[in-house]
Amino acid sequence: MKENENNFESLRRLLALKRHETPPPGYFENFSAKVTARIRAGEGGAAERQAIELPWLFRLLSAFESKPAFAGAFASALCMLLLVGIVFAERPDVASQPLVQTAQPDSPLAAVTPDSMEAMAKPVSLNSLSAGQPALIPISSTNPVFNSQSAGSWFASQGAMVQPVNFVLPGN
Amino acid sequence: MAEPVPSSEPKPSAPVDESELVRDARRGDLAAYDELVKRYQERIYATIYHMTSNHEDANDLAQESFIKAFQALKSFKGGSSFYTWLYRIAVNKTINFLKQRKNRTHMSLNDMDFNAEHDPDLVALISEQTPRRAAGLTELKEKLNEALMKLSEPHRLVVVMHDVQGLSHEEIAEAADCNVGTVRSRLFYARQQLQGYLADYLKPT
Repeated sequence: MKENENNFESLRRLLALKRHETPPPGYFENFSAKVTARIRAGEGGAAERQAIELPWLFRLLSAFESKPAFAGAFASALCMLLLVGIVFAERPDVASQPLVQTAQPDSPLAAVTPDSMEAMAKPVSLNSLSAGQPALIPISSTNPVFNSQSAGSWFASQGAMVQPVNFVLPGN
Repeated sequence: MAEPVPSSEPKPSAPVDESELVRDARRGDLAAYDELVKRYQERIYATIYHMTSNHEDANDLAQESFIKAFQALKSFKGGSSFYTWLYRIAVNKTINFLKQRKNRTHMSLNDMDFNAEHDPDLVALISEQTPRRAAGLTELKEKLNEALMKLSEPHRLVVVMHDVQGLSHEEIAEAADCNVGTVRSRLFYARQQLQGYLADYLKPT
């Protein structure tokens, strides 16, 4: 070890020359004033306020800054989470699950079948409307919103809940 | 025998204890913090400057390090000295900055002070004993900085702190957040590298 120290003696003396590299004259006279002025100007205050409001975030960020390995581990964990999310999203058994909840057998809605839907969706006369009875909007090719045939078959195939809706014309 | 006449000159105020200044600064006393900044500004600036070889960068980073230290004073537990803690903030800030600056090639070097020309070591190095007789002060300075910048940040940091600033292995280990063995091995490796880069400027031993 001593030999190594001797070997590096010239290098050490050469490196010691860097001590002569100094900033412009008078630089340090104003240095502390600049620092405190910047703190007063709010840099310190704003950061401190944020630190009070979000102490956990600041602790996390300072941990990232002081320990790059921690930042790496955190990023790896996030990537793993993302990968797991992608893998689960692409699994066929998850993707094929019905998006619409089917009605329970004992639910009143379970009684609604495509046949009953068609019966309810028969065109009504104006007389029946004027009598104050609940009316159903007639189904026709000009009403793109609802089609009993297609709706019935589609709902039947999906086993989804279907609830008929009555429309009462205003003024009646 | 005459009684000694008390001097009319005001006695120089006793230096305030560092822990006292830290305690006051933690309470938001900027005057106390100003005193702390004055105590360590030169050493912090020098470390950053030797790491970056750029005065403007060193100026910004040194100021930001002190500001950050003030903001983080509440988290300073006093387990180490304030100086070591401050050093660690400055070192982390500088290393982060250097990682971001990797692609920048611009480097402005400061002039050496007047005393450098009269430094016996320097005179000896650029005298007739030096292999490269024609190497002038500026060239030597540039080569020295170029060689340092070729080192990785952790190796450069250890060389700067030990061989330029004269810190002990223990102090470096505390500031760089590693053990003393790592400091020694980094120092050895860094010196070997530098010796290779600066072979033309070193006297044969």
